[in-house]
Amino acid sequence: MTIKERSTKIYRTKTMFSEEELIEKERVCIHEELPYCSAACPLKLDVRTLVGQIAAGDFTAALAVYTKITPLPHILSQGCEAPCQKYCKLYDIGEGIRITALERTATQMGEINKGSGMLRMKKKKTAAIFGEGLFAAFFVGEMARKMYPVTVYSKYDNMYDMLKAAAPFADEEGIAEDAAVIAHTNIIFVHAEALTSEFFEQERHHYDLIGVSPSFLQILGGEVDETVMLWHAETVISAPIEQQDVIENAFNARKAALTADRLAQRLAPENSRGEEGCKETRLYTNLNGIAASASLPCGIDGRYTRENAISEAKRCIQCHCDECVRGCVYLQHYKKYPKKLTREIYNNANIIMGDHMMNKPINSCSLCRQCTVTCPNGYNMADICLIARQNMVTTGKMPLAPHEFALMDMEFSNTDAFLCRKQAGYTHCRYVFFPGCQTSAIAPDTVYKAYADLTKRLTGGVALLLGCCGAIAKWAGRELMYAETVRMLNEHFAILGHPVIIAGCPMCADMLSKHSHEQVIGIWDILAEIGFPEGAKGLDYPVAMHDSCGARGNIHMQETMRLIAEKLGCVLIDTEYSGDYSPCCGYGGLVMYANREVAHEMAKMCAERSDTPYITYCMACRDRLARENKESRHLLELIYNENAGVPPDISEKRYNRIQLKERLLREVWKELVEPVEYGFKVIFTPETRRMMEDRMILRTDVMQTLQYMRETKEAILEEKTGLLVTRHREGNVTFWVKYEQKDDVYVVHCAYSHRMNIVTR
Amino acid sequence: MTADKNYYTMDTQGNLKCLKCGVPLVKGKAKFMYLDNGFPVELPVCPICGFVYVPEELALGKVLSVEKALEDK
Repeated sequence: MTIKERSTKIYRTKTMFSEEELIEKERVCIHEELPYCSAACPLKLDVRTLVGQIAAGDFTAALAVYTKITPLPHILSQGCEAPCQKYCKLYDIGEGIRITALERTATQMGEINKGSGMLRMKKKKTAAIFGEGLFAAFFVGEMARKMYPVTVYSKYDNMYDMLKAAAPFADEEGIAEDAAVIAHTNIIFVHAEALTSEFFEQERHHYDLIGVSPSFLQILGGEVDETVMLWHAETVISAPIEQQDVIENAFNARKAALTADRLAQRLAPENSRGEEGCKETRLYTNLNGIAASASLPCGIDGRYTRENAISEAKRCIQCHCDECVRGCVYLQHYKKYPKKLTREIYNNANIIMGDHMMNKPINSCSLCRQCTVTCPNGYNMADICLIARQNMVTTGKMPLAPHEFALMDMEFSNTDAFLCRKQAGYTHCRYVFFPGCQTSAIAPDTVYKAYADLTKRLTGGVALLLGCCGAIAKWAGRELMYAETVRMLNEHFAILGHPVIIAGCPMCADMLSKHSHEQVIGIWDILAEIGFPEGAKGLDYPVAMHDSCGARGNIHMQETMRLIAEKLGCVLIDTEYSGDYSPCCGYGGLVMYANREVAHEMAKMCAERSDTPYITYCMACRDRLARENKESRHLLELIYNENAGVPPDISEKRYNRIQLKERLLREVWKELVEPVEYGFKVIFTPETRRMMEDRMILRTDVMQTLQYMRETKEAILEEKTGLLVTRHREGNVTFWVKYEQKDDVYVVHCAYSHRMNIVTR
Repeated sequence: MTADKNYYTMDTQGNLKCLKCGVPLVKGKAKFMYLDNGFPVELPVCPICGFVYVPEELALGKVLSVEKALEDK
């Protein structure tokens, strides 16, 4: 079979799902939610960054974060009622961070940026602010910072005096510094001892924007709309009656300044204001493993010493939700959280021409659904990646290269290595044993013994079906191929008389229970019920259980496996991320074919969870862990007293399946099997074998290339080395073999391949 | 694209001989095709049977990188 390769000249796109569905899916991810402290702050101070900068010893950077929310950092930090502090997550286990003390320390120790900014242009619209008090002071600061030329009518002649009267709680140095920053801007003070409505009417027409203090607003008899801080009838910006809270005044002034901006642009002040004020946060922060600690005491001025500020800031746990990323190598590798990844994958599907940068990330997810259990909201990244793969296949955008080897391997399992036989002497079978392609490929002797045991100890007949459940096509996003595999398997199950499927692999059990018409149980269910055969024996040393992703959400399966392991005499060690939280070994989702680096990291992470050897109940997991030099054994190996040994290479995996089929036909069904003979001998050196494994070249690929050479005599002699080179195109790949020939024996020195086709012109 | 444009040129360095035809390979015109894209190249070719030789370094180097780039188009 050859799978048709795609063309880059087809420009079809199809959205994965609607924009609304995308937003709904993205909403599940809470990574971008505000931390509790920032959500409680009406000005939404970025507390995490501020505290982080202090922890790093950079007080100037911390102050820069703070000045983003206020033009008067000294006054705000000294008077703020600190709603943020009350919501610090650390209060759940001990004492929270003293955020205001850190803010005060930052304003004192950090160096403020006094420059008005090279690129900040003075605004053309002019503003006048009448009155005094905290709101007026903050509003003057906000307007001055926005580069409006501001004229202040009050009983004070300068900013310092105005601030000093408005903020008696603040120290003189702080007030002086805040005033000095504002003095750099376009601000004029006009002395007006007692403001009157007549004076106001006389002066206001000189300016485009008018602001008044709340107390002067009362004199004017105005009423302010609190959402936009505007007296609509007169287009005068103000605030409700003077607030006691400093933070409230600062917040009102901020809203007022935004209204001023919108009025200056002749825009409705109610629109496009973004989210203002405190908000509810949906953030989740995992406090497991975080020790309770107490706040460091600060000085009587409410500030820390430099060292104590750094120590206090280091207590901050930088609240954020990365529950999924922590357990998932895939998300760690791409340094993206699901919301961002989903958006990028969604956009990738809409690219008509040009580079599809997300193709590789889409094919690098193991589809193991670990994220659905680690995420507090159950984000399903696997579904997104699978839908994206299916989308790429249907629009002709899926390259064949990442999955072709696996798809051809599935094809091999379901043709050359396929076997479906009723138990000898039975016209209908009550059961069919379905060990799974990887079980047969990695541990053929275990499969042989398991089938013999089932036929011996179960009544009603046990058929055998060696093949692939179709998971490979499903993972590759090839729904038509998957449907065809399911149809073919269902046809065989019908011929067998609709038996109960005894799956030998958790993934097969999962796939078959969803898509076959038969009842599916696991061999583990049978063995837990009928007991073990003679010779079954656990390991003499403590072991950790690695759960299969096929068992995700199937607590019964996970518990049965542990029960079996304990009955075998195994002492099980508990590990982090076990059971439902188990990470993928790197086989799932065809990652080991599409992105070897990520697959290797996945297997490594699985292996590193425990110092003890592992037992698994999926043969692919056993194989992947063993490749990381981690001792791992499959439960069936222990039950049937077998050891599949070192992991087979890609060629041996095929050979094992063929050998198992032939052995069963010969010994169980007494059928004559003609082995495939090539009529020549090929020697592969160990280095060549390693090279071929690395390059995903099968020994049969080399044999066929040499066979083709023998038929066509087409080869090149490299005179310098004396080696011969030949090639053969098989499907979508051209294989090259460098060899030396001694009669009918070929010693292979090198093999390589490319997917491009080469022709003369 | 001009008719004579070549994306890659390689000399035979007098080292390669076609076993079938018994003649040395010469620098000849060939074309790599992938996903409906063509790339004219000059590679060692047998002047009689047209066998085009793609050395290992080329297959695993430039050819592979172009394949990967095209696969994401």
